[in-house]
Amino acid sequence: MNVDLLFKIAAVGILVAVLHQVLCRAGREEQAMMTTLAGLVIVLTLVIKEISSLFDTVRTLFSL
Amino acid sequence: MDEVIKIVGIGLVALILIIIIKQYRPEFAIYISIISGIIIFFYAIDKLTNIIDLLKQICNQSGVNNKYLGILIKMTGIAFLAEFAISICKDAGESSLANKVELGSKAIVISMSIPIIHNLLEIILNLMPN
Repeated sequence: MNVDLLFKIAAVGILVAVLHQVLCRAGREEQAMMTTLAGLVIVLTLVIKEISSLFDTVRTLFSL
Repeated sequence: MDEVIKIVGIGLVALILIIIIKQYRPEFAIYISIISGIIIFFYAIDKLTNIIDLLKQICNQSGVNNKYLGILIKMTGIAFLAEFAISICKDAGESSLANKVELGSKAIVISMSIPIIHNLLEIILNLMPN
């Protein structure tokens, strides 16, 4: 486990926030929503991998 | 000592990131809190393995039935996982969902402890004069 993942997610969040602001100002509300959705899905794929590894580890540790 | 510095550092860094992100995108803040919780758990896992091994060894030496310790450890795991989900739900402001998760995990823990309760009641019944 490393802390890089934390920074990666934070970077995606900041990037998506900036893109959302810029696209909103440019009057492209729909594309702004699409970028938000894409960022959300990307981070979700990152997080789900870790959650599954957490479940596996707990299962082996506590012999569930 | 090394571990605790790492854990505290990760916690504080995650806290600052969450505070920055929360103003713009509250949904990413939840992701960061989940990931930081998982990372901190992975640092603590080595120590937990040692503790569980020690408990099993003591249980074998003292001649207590090994089955009961297994049930106890499983309950600890269920409680840990449930607590993980409950605290994330509460952070996101969904305390009713958190209550449902709590209820479900409690029901599972009690259903797992039924063999122990059954044994205890049987022993008491045997002790009682007819």
